[in-house]
Amino acid sequence: MREAGWGYAFVLLPMAVFGLFFIYPLVYGIYISFFEWGILGKAAGATASTQNYHTLYNDPVFHRALRNTFEYALLVVPLEMALGLMVALVINAKLRGRAFFRSAFYFPSIASSAAITTIAIFILNPDGLLNRIIGSNQAWFGDSSTALYSVVGLNAWTTSGTVMLFYLAALQSIPTDVYEAAAVGGTRAWRTFWRITFPLLRPAHFFVLVVFGIGALKVFDQFYIVSQGTGGPEYSTLSAVFYIYQEAFKSANFGVGASAGVVLFVAIFLLTLLQRATVGRAELG
Amino acid sequence: MLQTSVAAAEPFVPRRARSEAVRRIVLYVVLVAFALLFFTPFVWTISTSFKTLPDSAYFNLVPHPFTTEAWKSVWNDYDFKRYALNSLFLAVTVTLLNLFLASLGGYAFARLRFPGREVLFLLVLGTLMIPDQLRLIPVFVMLTKWHLIGNFSGYILINLVTAVNLFFMRQYFLTIPRDFEEAAKLDGAGYFKTYWRIMLPLAGPAIAALAILQFQGTWNDFFWPLILFGQGSEHMYTMQLGLAQLTFTYQSLWPQLMAGSLMAIAPILVIFLVFQRFFISGVTAAGIKG
Repeated sequence: MREAGWGYAFVLLPMAVFGLFFIYPLVYGIYISFFEWGILGKAAGATASTQNYHTLYNDPVFHRALRNTFEYALLVVPLEMALGLMVALVINAKLRGRAFFRSAFYFPSIASSAAITTIAIFILNPDGLLNRIIGSNQAWFGDSSTALYSVVGLNAWTTSGTVMLFYLAALQSIPTDVYEAAAVGGTRAWRTFWRITFPLLRPAHFFVLVVFGIGALKVFDQFYIVSQGTGGPEYSTLSAVFYIYQEAFKSANFGVGASAGVVLFVAIFLLTLLQRATVGRAELG
Repeated sequence: MLQTSVAAAEPFVPRRARSEAVRRIVLYVVLVAFALLFFTPFVWTISTSFKTLPDSAYFNLVPHPFTTEAWKSVWNDYDFKRYALNSLFLAVTVTLLNLFLASLGGYAFARLRFPGREVLFLLVLGTLMIPDQLRLIPVFVMLTKWHLIGNFSGYILINLVTAVNLFFMRQYFLTIPRDFEEAAKLDGAGYFKTYWRIMLPLAGPAIAALAILQFQGTWNDFFWPLILFGQGSEHMYTMQLGLAQLTFTYQSLWPQLMAGSLMAIAPILVIFLVFQRFFISGVTAAGIKG
């Protein structure tokens, strides 16, 4: 009994925080999404309805935000995986200075999104270093046809270091006798990679895909900063979370924002299940 | 004599050595190419931060003349001094609170028996799945009601302890053998004393990893400061918020913008260089177990 008392005392504050600021808001957010809700709270005389969801369904801006978000995720995650795996493989080869290179590649991942994005705005500005090197004057973030892809490039650059760490950890857990067997068999490095290493990394692929896929769906900071808080030009940098932010803080439509939050949450949740199902089956087959 | 003839009979040995050398060269070329790609932006940033405004329009790598003017003006005139203090205050407070509450709760979930423990732990796991972006509007509405918008305590309150941290600490405590606690129990130590005197010191590496990652997370946080302080509370801006504001307002003041970016990165870079080991082990451990 004494033990139980101390147990409750120790978990009391953490559980209160989780309940009050995570679990209750989840329920409360769903509640808000069914009402007309402004800056002063629930509109006078408002009754529960699915009006906010209809609004979303008919809002081309919301569609655009979803499309941007999925396009971004579909591009950035494979790019991060390819870059991260490539660097991990090179570093995993027993080269001199590997600790240095590992830290060097991981470094952009620890820098804040605001700083990294500011640096990217500088490098990619029309008179910037990148244009100077390739001899153009493209406004990478200022042109609706390149803005999204520029953010993809920016985030692939900063996040692949973290992906590399996960792949490195996975590579180091592959027993070396697997490779010795392949070497005895005279298998060439390229084939060894595709036949042995790549399939053995399946748990890591799955993990990275889910974690960084979900992360990509929640993208906000970089889009917000490169567009100076507008989502432009022409909604090309409006992500789903950015849409929620704008509905709430620019238009004071908390109800619509909350319903967009619910849609995004469902999308993330379904994606987790889908990835689990497909990758899980591939693993069996 | 015999040996040379053996070597001659196996011509593939030298060829193999050669292909090994080729492989190494290729790997190094790839490494250096990547390093250039990763590093050029930072080198360019550092160089620009020491340039004058007119000089920043040119592509000379070495500043001409070299000046620390941009650093000084960002720090003093653009109020980064205040932003740095705000960020430091929030990061230290949130990190300490997370360390204490996550380890205390993690210890209870790992070691103490109490009715309903499994159900409560399921709630912790459920909390892990709730994205910050989903709680954005409800939390904002709640904090508005309580007059905690534009207030540091609002930020601290919603970040008191995270489920990831608690889960991470619990997992670490599970790996510690029970012998130490048994000994403490025989000495008549209570549960809090056992946690404080025995378990916390034994969890050193986990504590270090958590402290570093949480400090980094709060220092780098852009989202919540924007939501809570972004609407007209300029004196509460954090480093990241102040930097974003600077890029919006002074779009081609490159030396200042680059100096500001480097200031926003600097503390994390220092911690990273000193505690690399914990950074890397922390990221992979939190990721793989979480």
